[in-house]
Amino acid sequence: METKELNKPAEVEKKRNFIESFVMGARKGFNMSMNNMAPNVLFAFAMIQILNLSGLSTVIGKIFGPVMGIFGLPGIAATVVVAGLLSTGGGVGAAASLALNGELTNPQAGILLVGIMLFGSVFQYMGRVLGTADVESKHYPALVGIDIACGFLGMLVASFILGR
Amino acid sequence: MENTNLEAQNASQDKVRISGYISLVLAILFFSGLFKDAEGFLKFFDFTNVLGAFGSLGTVTEEAGTLAANFRGTGGAGVRDGWLFALTLAPAVMLALGIVKIVEDMDGLRAAHKLLNPLLKPVMGIPGICGLALVASLQSTDTGAGMTKELFERGDITSKERIIFAGGFQLNAGAVLTNYLSSGAALFTFLSVPVIVPLVIVLLFKVVATNIVRLYVNKVVKEA
Repeated sequence: METKELNKPAEVEKKRNFIESFVMGARKGFNMSMNNMAPNVLFAFAMIQILNLSGLSTVIGKIFGPVMGIFGLPGIAATVVVAGLLSTGGGVGAAASLALNGELTNPQAGILLVGIMLFGSVFQYMGRVLGTADVESKHYPALVGIDIACGFLGMLVASFILGR
Repeated sequence: MENTNLEAQNASQDKVRISGYISLVLAILFFSGLFKDAEGFLKFFDFTNVLGAFGSLGTVTEEAGTLAANFRGTGGAGVRDGWLFALTLAPAVMLALGIVKIVEDMDGLRAAHKLLNPLLKPVMGIPGICGLALVASLQSTDTGAGMTKELFERGDITSKERIIFAGGFQLNAGAVLTNYLSSGAALFTFLSVPVIVPLVIVLLFKVVATNIVRLYVNKVVKEA
């Protein structure tokens, strides 16, 4: 979700006073809220609304119930996982939408927050991290696999710490 | 010559993929309102239904009433509710990133780099020279990855170390500081623990993932 702008050299940045620094950071926060977060949240809310209206959320809940149950989550949380793998903002938005509807409890929202942060946007980052750093593409499947596995492992541990 | 070019251009513009017709028909149906009151699952295929409703700000009865906690109201749904929800998050993100910027400009991130430096080799198997790129990657995946590429090209890190650093540390929870304080803020209101607790778990697993990749690199990857 972070913007693609590269940091300017540190030497140039040193001369600001703290008010200028804050305003600059807050402006970045505003741009990020409006240009990255809001569109992602809107997409997630639209997706959850479509799933609810079509009745698919019940089906997903039933199918993924046993698997998600391992992590102390209801089956519908599978939609959050899928959305999160594609985009961190989308995953968080989907989780927020479900939590606001009462379909996720507070501890469950925390468990998903851990998972989304760990494996969030992994398919985007494949290009933006591994591609940019020139890692040989033959390693991609293993690295992405480890990433997703660690996300689920993190959710499992979080479920015992945050309560299930 | 120019004419033939133009004709060729026009001809290529006239070609429409089949997906164009399909999406057009679907869009017309979606906006038509035909499925607005549809029975059963088809009602999801309607613009107004997906758009949803803003929450109610309260109800007024005779000499009494209730008031919603904030402008998002209660009982909203769909994209309209999502929009107001996104607006409620903006102040938190702006405050958080404003403070992070002050810390950054006061050299706080460089201090983190200095403190982390001696730990990188024993804890994650990457040399101390990765410190600055590591701290940068906590804020921006693109900057971190770009700096990693430079480190390799300068010969400061080996191919294996690059896989551990980029494929382990940076791929897992990329730009975690920025993402946690911006996107993650959407879930802060639901947390029943201090905001730092999930972040600590995430950072812990970032290190765990890096070490699993380290193991993969040392056991599976052949080249030096």
